[in-house]
Amino acid sequence: MITEEELDNLIICKKCHTLHKRVPLSENKKAFCSKCDILLYQNSTNTLDRTLALVIAAAISLFITFKFTIITINIQGLEQSLTLYALFMVILEQQQYIVGMMFIFLIVIFPITIISSMLILLTLMKFKKGKYLTQRLLILLAHVRPWSMVDIFFISLLVAMVKLFDYAYIELGVSFIALIFTLILDIIITKNISFYELWDLHRKIYGKIDE
Amino acid sequence: MNRKLDYVRCHICEAVNYVDDTNRKCRRCHESITHDLRLSYHKTLAFLITAIIFYIPANIYPILISKQFGKTSSNTIIGGVIHLWDAGSYPIALIILLASVFVPLLKFILIIYLLISAKYNLHSSKLDKHKLFYITEVIGPWSMVDVFVVIILSVLVHFSGVQIYPGEGATAFGLMVFFTMLSALSFDPRLINHQKGDSSNANS
Repeated sequence: MITEEELDNLIICKKCHTLHKRVPLSENKKAFCSKCDILLYQNSTNTLDRTLALVIAAAISLFITFKFTIITINIQGLEQSLTLYALFMVILEQQQYIVGMMFIFLIVIFPITIISSMLILLTLMKFKKGKYLTQRLLILLAHVRPWSMVDIFFISLLVAMVKLFDYAYIELGVSFIALIFTLILDIIITKNISFYELWDLHRKIYGKIDE
Repeated sequence: MNRKLDYVRCHICEAVNYVDDTNRKCRRCHESITHDLRLSYHKTLAFLITAIIFYIPANIYPILISKQFGKTSSNTIIGGVIHLWDAGSYPIALIILLASVFVPLLKFILIIYLLISAKYNLHSSKLDKHKLFYITEVIGPWSMVDVFVVIILSVLVHFSGVQIYPGEGATAFGLMVFFTMLSALSFDPRLINHQKGDSSNANS
């Protein structure tokens, strides 16, 4: 039978499911999968602090993105802006509840859920408090993570802008820049943080989870 | 007794577990990891069939309806792509064509292939199939592009004279993407490992 420690030293690649044995890495080195060259794990110092800083920045830029205007179009003197408020009003007026709810969940609610629960999680882990809450937040994050679509929203926005380019004068709002920042931070956070590492830290800080 | 031990990656905390096929909980996060494989198989299949059913109205009904001073015109997905191609915006036409026509079809084909190979021995390598499943998971959400574009346009082009509405096709398309994502999420990677006729598993 294999002991717990031996299992802790194993990792399965998320892409090709090849079993790897973890070797100790020197500082700031990364380990890649031997079969498909995807990042397996890395030895980075102060993961918590670095991630917390990124998450705070992401929270601010996410707030700005939804608070102000993303873009404004101007067709022969008539103006219309893309804001969260306008989105709600149009969905209610046109009664597109299914598509509207999907859009609001994928673009607004899930990204906010991810960033705010990351914020709470990392702060609690920093102060070594709330063992049960952090555990539930980590599980919540694993469930919500595939459903956040900020990157796809940004590409869609660019496509929509190109479609409107011939008919309208397009003005970029404050939130457009904030959206780019959110997107970059979102990519850095999801690319750099492995949940494997966060669970490892969780165990180191709080000890084993008892049933 | 069918008790083959296997290394399983917990889908919640990514810890490696060495467990058999009975109902087990992950040693690190205590979420259940080894659900019934048959249940996972049927759930994937059911969600996939639902998605394929939604794919038909998504292509027949208009995804975008525009009203210009009382005159209504509507576009289906293919119609929109052809319209963009004729207007000369080739990159955008290609993005829409890829995201809303090829990606869903590719996803259907990949999931059907993975399901068939879980039931029958197709002599295909496990490594390739794990990679295919990973691709399915990664490309899935990108089909949402067209639906998002329509919603952004309907918010922006909202004047008394000119208006854009999402059509019935947009609803069907959104639901189609939703169900393909559910289908991919309910597919258990162990279905790839435990394929029939695999001697390495049968003997251990």
